[in-house]
Amino acid sequence: MKTNKLFIFLSLVMIASMLLASCQPERIVETVVVTEIVEVQGTPQVVEKVVVVTPSAEAAAPTEEPTPEPEKQVTRRGGWLDTIVIVEEPSGEAGVSRIESGELDAHVFSWDDPELFASVQANADLGYTTFVGSSDELSFNPVGPTFDGTGKLNPFSVAKIREAMNWMIDRNYIAEEIMGGLGLPRLFPIVGGFPDYARYIDKARELEAYYAYNPEKGEAVITEEMQKLGATLVDGKWQFNDEPVELIFLIRTEDERLEIGDYISNQLETIGFTVTRNYKTAAEAAPIWRQGNPNDGQWHLYTGGWITTQITRDQGSNFEFYHTNRGMTNPLWQSYVVSAEYDEICTRLSNNLFDTLEERDELFRRALELSMLEGARFWLVDGLSFSPFKPDVKVVADLSGGIQGADLWSYTIRRDGVEGGSMTLANASILTENWNPLGGSNQVFDQMIMKATGDQAVLADPYTGLYWPERIERAEVFAVDGLPIASTYDWMKLEFVPEIEVPADAWADWDAAEQRFITVGEVYTSTDTVTARTKMVVYFPPDLYDVQWHDGSQFSLADIVLAWILNWDPAKEASALYDESQVPALLSFQSHFKGIRIVQENPLIVEIYDDAYSLDAEAMVNNYATWMFPFYAFGQGAWHTIGTGILAETNSELAFTQSKADILQTDSINMIGGPSLEILAKYMDQAASESYIPYPSVLGQYVTPEEAATRWANLQEWYRRHGHFWVGTGPYYMDKVFPIEGTVLLKSNPQFADLADKWIDFGTPPIAEVALTGPNSIAIGDEVTFDVEVTFEGNPYPMADIGQVKYLLFDNDSKLVVIGEAEAVEDGLWRITLTKEQTALLKAGSNKMEVAVVSLKVSLPSFAVVEFISE
Amino acid sequence: MADSTIPVHVKAEVSVRVNPVLSSISRVIKFMGIKAVVLFFTVVVGVYLTILVANMGGYVDQIQRGQIQEQIATQVLNDPSFKLLAADVRAQRIADITRMAEHRAGLDQPFMVRSVRFLTNALSLNLGRALYMNSDGGSRQVRRIILERLPSTLVLFATENFLNFFLSIFFALALSRKYASFWDRVIITLSPTSSAPGWFYGLFLILIFAAQFGILPYGGMVAAPPPDTPINYFLSLCQHLVLPVFALLLSTIFGNVYAWRTFFLIYSSEDYVDMAKAKGLSSRDIERRYILRPTLPVIITNFALALITVWQGAIVLETIFNWPGLGRLTFQAIGLFDTPVIVGSTVIYAYLLAITVFLLEFIYTLVDPRVKIGSEGRRV
Repeated sequence: MKTNKLFIFLSLVMIASMLLASCQPERIVETVVVTEIVEVQGTPQVVEKVVVVTPSAEAAAPTEEPTPEPEKQVTRRGGWLDTIVIVEEPSGEAGVSRIESGELDAHVFSWDDPELFASVQANADLGYTTFVGSSDELSFNPVGPTFDGTGKLNPFSVAKIREAMNWMIDRNYIAEEIMGGLGLPRLFPIVGGFPDYARYIDKARELEAYYAYNPEKGEAVITEEMQKLGATLVDGKWQFNDEPVELIFLIRTEDERLEIGDYISNQLETIGFTVTRNYKTAAEAAPIWRQGNPNDGQWHLYTGGWITTQITRDQGSNFEFYHTNRGMTNPLWQSYVVSAEYDEICTRLSNNLFDTLEERDELFRRALELSMLEGARFWLVDGLSFSPFKPDVKVVADLSGGIQGADLWSYTIRRDGVEGGSMTLANASILTENWNPLGGSNQVFDQMIMKATGDQAVLADPYTGLYWPERIERAEVFAVDGLPIASTYDWMKLEFVPEIEVPADAWADWDAAEQRFITVGEVYTSTDTVTARTKMVVYFPPDLYDVQWHDGSQFSLADIVLAWILNWDPAKEASALYDESQVPALLSFQSHFKGIRIVQENPLIVEIYDDAYSLDAEAMVNNYATWMFPFYAFGQGAWHTIGTGILAETNSELAFTQSKADILQTDSINMIGGPSLEILAKYMDQAASESYIPYPSVLGQYVTPEEAATRWANLQEWYRRHGHFWVGTGPYYMDKVFPIEGTVLLKSNPQFADLADKWIDFGTPPIAEVALTGPNSIAIGDEVTFDVEVTFEGNPYPMADIGQVKYLLFDNDSKLVVIGEAEAVEDGLWRITLTKEQTALLKAGSNKMEVAVVSLKVSLPSFAVVEFISE
Repeated sequence: MADSTIPVHVKAEVSVRVNPVLSSISRVIKFMGIKAVVLFFTVVVGVYLTILVANMGGYVDQIQRGQIQEQIATQVLNDPSFKLLAADVRAQRIADITRMAEHRAGLDQPFMVRSVRFLTNALSLNLGRALYMNSDGGSRQVRRIILERLPSTLVLFATENFLNFFLSIFFALALSRKYASFWDRVIITLSPTSSAPGWFYGLFLILIFAAQFGILPYGGMVAAPPPDTPINYFLSLCQHLVLPVFALLLSTIFGNVYAWRTFFLIYSSEDYVDMAKAKGLSSRDIERRYILRPTLPVIITNFALALITVWQGAIVLETIFNWPGLGRLTFQAIGLFDTPVIVGSTVIYAYLLAITVFLLEFIYTLVDPRVKIGSEGRRV
């Protein structure tokens, strides 16, 4: 008996210990959203040397133990760190715990769990960065007023009811309570933190004030419109044809949209609707809302979500995509009907059919209004994501894509004040798809590593979305008079001209059968002069050909020209690489492309003629970035590494794209692992024995047989040492890759073209801190002034870096009565002066002055509000 | 009635008397044939049901179409070349891309037609190509996808299964000798802990040994980066095996020991065991000859079935330990509706199960002389 009691006691102790172990101490949750930036470093580098020709990336002497040398002039090339280990850690909780225990230095995935965020914020031993990554919206089924499939009423066929739903939803509640502070209220089809929002901040704030949470107003409008539809309110429930008006709500279950859906359902139920909550995952819901016929009446509302991975500077096409039947071809989009006015505005904004930026401004402002009046979806919140790291980690994070989405992450990551060393990073997944530059992985997990191993013509500014030159020196853009193009940075020269003639010897197309470029003179046989709307001249640095591939091969013009050929060749039926999936994209490209010409080979100067353009001249260069330096859509590739793939695909053993692989019933090329390696190695040896040059009739002009032999020898040695074919020119090279274990080992490239500190100025994003001061009360009809203090990290924000300081004056009915621009007084200080006439517009009561500051250094606008009494 | 049966009976007796060996062979062949046909039919039905369920009766086609459309929409939205096209031209291009993608995915054929092809391919172990998933090495061949994950699954679950099996037998035998002893009571008390799954214990073990004390890794198969030498790789693998194996053991061993110990106790009380004791045989001989041997068919069945369940892995446990095994693979495939991978994994399991059941029939006859294949009275 005594023994039994002992066992019972021991059992209870064991259970209690398990329960106690599972209870972590509660942490204080703060809802402060801070955007920080960082860097890192590591372990001694193994000395390896490519003996065949030139010293390769791995030939550098190792760095010994990390030593803090902040004041020393930087002579280091490549990445700040000696090594970066990247591992897979799919759990956010485990990731944070591993950072706390020192096993990891950072987890670069975009996490959006409010509880996890709170725990990170509460831990003084952790740093983090936040960024905009996703958005949630509410989609309506717009057909009706009754469904053909069920004969039941669809209230959301009425635009006014859709509009009134804005007043029924408290977006602040969603952002702060449901999302735990990881959300920012949003109404429009444009992202709140992107340049277009900042550009039209006055109209956006006006509309946001107008559509602020006001359930009484929403209910009143909905009641009026429901009655017009013939519905009646019986015992607090809407009825139509003697049946309750049922709303079928497809609620996504994977994230915060589950709670958002429940919240909106509750709101609808309070005003008399009968809501059927249909909880679905993405895959389960898509056949109903996206592929299903909306007229079947299987749903009324859907909690949609979208993701952005980089700052988009021109969001003009969003209106057309989200609100017109040209956005997608499925039944739901085909049911979208908007007014002729909105339809035209959507088309013009999407296709840049305006002559001046002022005209675009007008169109955009009207589009914002109409999107709320006519759209079949409106937005609820922009989601914020975060990535945790150790406090001594320094790395640049993109304001939209985070660390993993930033072009500059690998150029800047380091440990604070330390040169060299090692760092272990985790991501939720890595090596998810095959790697090859032409048709490989576009997963952000993989692209992040590709950005470290490759170098690009231009790199995206993580804070503005504009571009900085990396492997090009400068550029000039010539545009025909009237095109709404602007330039921002010094490296870009923009000039407007009456006409741009395309030279007859420029290359306009590719003859896959004869393996040669087709000139403009051959394509356009008319005697008329061939013209283009834009001409871009790109100047490369004199040391372009000093760049070395990681295997020690010298960079060549052939590496660039191959990218041009591959733009056309796979979409031509006569090509051995023909891939039908490439054809539509090429046809679209050919509709605006006019020609490309090598003006000078050394230093290299290239001209591109095109009818397409972007609002930012810098973005136009980025549109042709692959043509300027061979960082393809799926990573960097040299002519010889891609050449192995060309041979494999030509012999139908592998294919670059998955679509071609599906047709050939083979595998797509994976340059870093798996069965592809053996096949690629076979063709590498064959190429080496033949000194093979792909497209010899063209590339043979830029590569001698001796150079080709050297390249193949370098690649053979590289493959022998590293076991893969991933060769780039980036600040890090891929030393080892372990696909099954999910680990990648990167090492610094000491032969990199630039010093490690080239991008060190990108520290914390200079988001303006704004303080607005003014009188507590004013007399109506008197002149008053408000001061706007704009600072960053306590220092005055330079006037030259501020785009605009707009103010908006709302009266006591929250109606916008005055919009204006503050006057710059000095660095860090702007002044708003309200004239007697302007204050005369106010009524007695409480008013609100809001100021929006738009920086040229960062796309995220800053706000400040002050309330005052008018008498 | 009686007249018609008597001659048959006589004939049979004559036949047996004439050629008993041939009769045995005939009986065995007949039994094998029927057993093989029945098992194959079971596999066919099971696999076809899996195909129907995994494809949700064809509903997955719609899901796939949706994913194709979404991909294309994203592609078009991000391609500046499409922006300048006239609306009708752009729509036509999008329709062309969609049509080609659906054709490549085989969505231009009715599901029921394709389901028969899926079945014949699966039965002939032509597992085909995955819809979305790649093997870690980058192949879409389902065969490669599965085979690549097999070693890591085998290492984890075979280690655990062997340890579990032999430890369970060992402790069960020991306890059966000391009924109602202190340790027997301990095991009885702890046996309900087997109702919790391995991942449950895994979480605690991670918290204690990885997060709190930092003496064992959180997860993964080896250290990052993996060690260069085979010996170091093996040591690292062993280190990473400790927690997941221990978690699995904790979740099963007490229950198993309790069950086996009860099983052995029952056999220990048989008359022939008492007789053996009375004859003065050593306890070792009694255990080996009179307790273990009659229980061998059950032990072997358990062991064989436990071995083939290795094929299924353990979804949650592999996830929390970040172990690249078949369980996670299947879980990912289900999440992605990658039906070829689901069907491929299932068909191999079905074959393994059928073959195991088939072979066990013969093994029983080897270990238990009371069992005869195909005999009416003593078939197992």
